[in-house]
Amino acid sequence: MQEILDTFFNPAVAVQVLPMLLSGLWMTVKLAALIIPLGLLGGLALALAHTQTRSRKVRIAINLYVDFFRSFPQLVLVIFVSFATPFIGIELSPVVALAISFMLSTSAYYCEILRAGITAIPAGQTEAARSTGMSATQTLRHVVLPQAFRNVLPDLLGNSIEIFKGTSLASVLGMSELLYSAQSAQSVLFNPTPLVLAAAIYLALLWPAVRFISALESSRRAQGG
Amino acid sequence: MSQAADSGLIHTFFNADIVRQTSPMVMEAVGQTIAIGVLVIVAGILLGTALATWRFHTQSRVLRALIVGYVDVLRAMPPLVILILVYFALPYVNISIGSVLATFLCLSVILSAFIEECVWSGIMTLPKGQMEAARSTGMSWWQSMRHVILPQALRLSLPQITNRCIAAIKNTALGSVIGFAEILGSAQAASSDYANPTPLTLCAILYIGLIYPLVLASRYLEHRAGIR
Amino acid sequence: MQKKIILEAVDIRKDYGDLRVLNGVDIRVREGELVSIIGPSGSGKSSLLRCCNLLERPTAGQIIFDGEDITRDTVNINRVRQNMGMVFQQFNLYPHLNVLANVSLALRCVGKLGKAEANAVAMEALTQVDMAHKRDAFPGQLSGGQQQRVGIARAVALNPKIILFDEPTSALDPELVSSVLAVMKSLRERGMTMLVVTHEMGFARDLSDRVIFMDGGVVAANDTPDVIFSSQGNERMRSFLSRFLNER
Ligand SMILES: Nc1ncnc2c1ncn2[C@@H]1O[C@H](COP(=O)(O)OP(=O)(O)OP(=O)(O)O)[C@@H](O)[C@H]1O
Ligand SMILES: [Mg+2]
Repeated sequence: MQEILDTFFNPAVAVQVLPMLLSGLWMTVKLAALIIPLGLLGGLALALAHTQTRSRKVRIAINLYVDFFRSFPQLVLVIFVSFATPFIGIELSPVVALAISFMLSTSAYYCEILRAGITAIPAGQTEAARSTGMSATQTLRHVVLPQAFRNVLPDLLGNSIEIFKGTSLASVLGMSELLYSAQSAQSVLFNPTPLVLAAAIYLALLWPAVRFISALESSRRAQGG
Repeated sequence: MSQAADSGLIHTFFNADIVRQTSPMVMEAVGQTIAIGVLVIVAGILLGTALATWRFHTQSRVLRALIVGYVDVLRAMPPLVILILVYFALPYVNISIGSVLATFLCLSVILSAFIEECVWSGIMTLPKGQMEAARSTGMSWWQSMRHVILPQALRLSLPQITNRCIAAIKNTALGSVIGFAEILGSAQAASSDYANPTPLTLCAILYIGLIYPLVLASRYLEHRAGIR
Repeated sequence: MQKKIILEAVDIRKDYGDLRVLNGVDIRVREGELVSIIGPSGSGKSSLLRCCNLLERPTAGQIIFDGEDITRDTVNINRVRQNMGMVFQQFNLYPHLNVLANVSLALRCVGKLGKAEANAVAMEALTQVDMAHKRDAFPGQLSGGQQQRVGIARAVALNPKIILFDEPTSALDPELVSSVLAVMKSLRERGMTMLVVTHEMGFARDLSDRVIFMDGGVVAANDTPDVIFSSQGNERMRSFLSRFLNER
């Protein structure tokens, strides 16, 4: 038992690596703060284009984009963008490569969620707003989008959690975020405690969010909505 | 773009020679990826459904909390972290599992957590009267579950379950990080051997060929659910 | 002397694909008038109303509002709609906003009023429909009749020249209908011009200046309530009316 504790939960190692892990965590948080808004904005733009355009071609193009990037494992996309672009003379820094590849795929997911939310708002809402003289843009901003966002909030949060977790892929590009820091500490100290600690940090951060979504969903089920 | 530059791009990103030379290796990886993907889906769905049923059946609050805790923990941790933890930490206590087995175990367990959540939400959406009606005809709790509740719950959550299975298949690519030569892993190896990105392009095409039909299927299922 | 014409539909046609639902409709509504539109289901009453404020574009024909042809492409339809309110069968209140915000939203967006000013105007409209005490409630917490009165207040608050009503009481439980009709009656007494699609024959007979009977996408009769309800019209109108009048 003591051996297991010393191996996986070694206090001395934990204390030693904590500063390193915290700076890794800071990097993780910064990446998430960059990637999540980018994806959300991209997704919102796509969803608005999809729902507001009259052109069938635009809608088909957006569907293709969304399905294409939904079919791409995130890691494959990250690797492709960062390792294939140098062959044509484009050197992307890891952050940029990561941001581009995440933006491409997460905007597809956000688009799906928001599009479903927008199309679920009854036409009567738009008609009522337009009948009072509000413009199409005002109607979207004050009537349709607030309701759509509220209705799909659990899905938006769930997707954002997935993206936050996805920042761990940055370790593959050698960016010293939380997982990478833990891995390097583990290989230097020959002890897995840093990995356990990193997992615990993710858990501490995201468990409340996961709980919140579950609670939100079950309360909506109870309301029959 | 000029024609020369155009063919240059193709020469770089989709070099026919390199495709020919590396495709046996990559195709073997495709078989492995599909095999692992199918196994993960079967194991994940079975385990997840069993957990949801258990959570519904048990009267013990402790047990219910444990199941919810299991689900939450696996939903809150990045799959890559779980994979690396299992693969690199277990050897310290002399448990050594290969990268294929580690990938299979981790992805199955993660998928089971998400499936539990989907099935549970399906069960909760069903009207209480369903179980009562089934029991009133003399069926046992398990019979009611098997013939009345679960079929409906699974069907209600089919779109979400499909999406989760797609995510699980995509996560097989994470195996490359611990040295499982699935599609991405073998493509990366080939790409550095030949100093050419063609294997990576091939890998991307293969993944899309593999998963795109599933994405279309999930779109169809969502569409059908929306109509009902 | 006759009052001036507020709203005029000239030879309106409306097609949905191959289906012609309005086939050359002409109507006129003068200032201060209450005009009811009755007719069998599917005869095109809602389509006509929705063409009037261009929620649907007429396939052909003109809508003249306050002397201006609003079917021309250069017309700013949002400006026009401020002066032409609409009340819907399904209320269509905004579920994410409380009663006061439901009424004041357009005042702030369209009328460019400040918050305090918009709220004051909205409260005045809510008082008119006897809903001021529910200013902080959300639509989901109100009965159908209360929701519809808020819907009327939303239209009234913009101080329009005319209000279009599309079966405002059809979605209500019978005991809630009278409160909404009472509000409409008081609006009429204040001189509001109204164009009302309704299945409430009592309301049409007692309160309208004129009744339009629509059938198969055309105006089959257009006369005073006395004439319409004295059953002098054609066969279809008589059978339509007898069905309703016998129900009472
Ligand atoms: N958006 C639409 N697309 C296609 N057909 C439509 C559309 N809206 C209405 N219609 C058709 O137009 C015809 C007239 O409909 P409308 O709603 O104007 O009738 P109505 O007189 O208001 O009937 P009700 O009393 O049932 O409300 C109907 O046959 C209806 O099916
Ligand atoms: Mg109608």
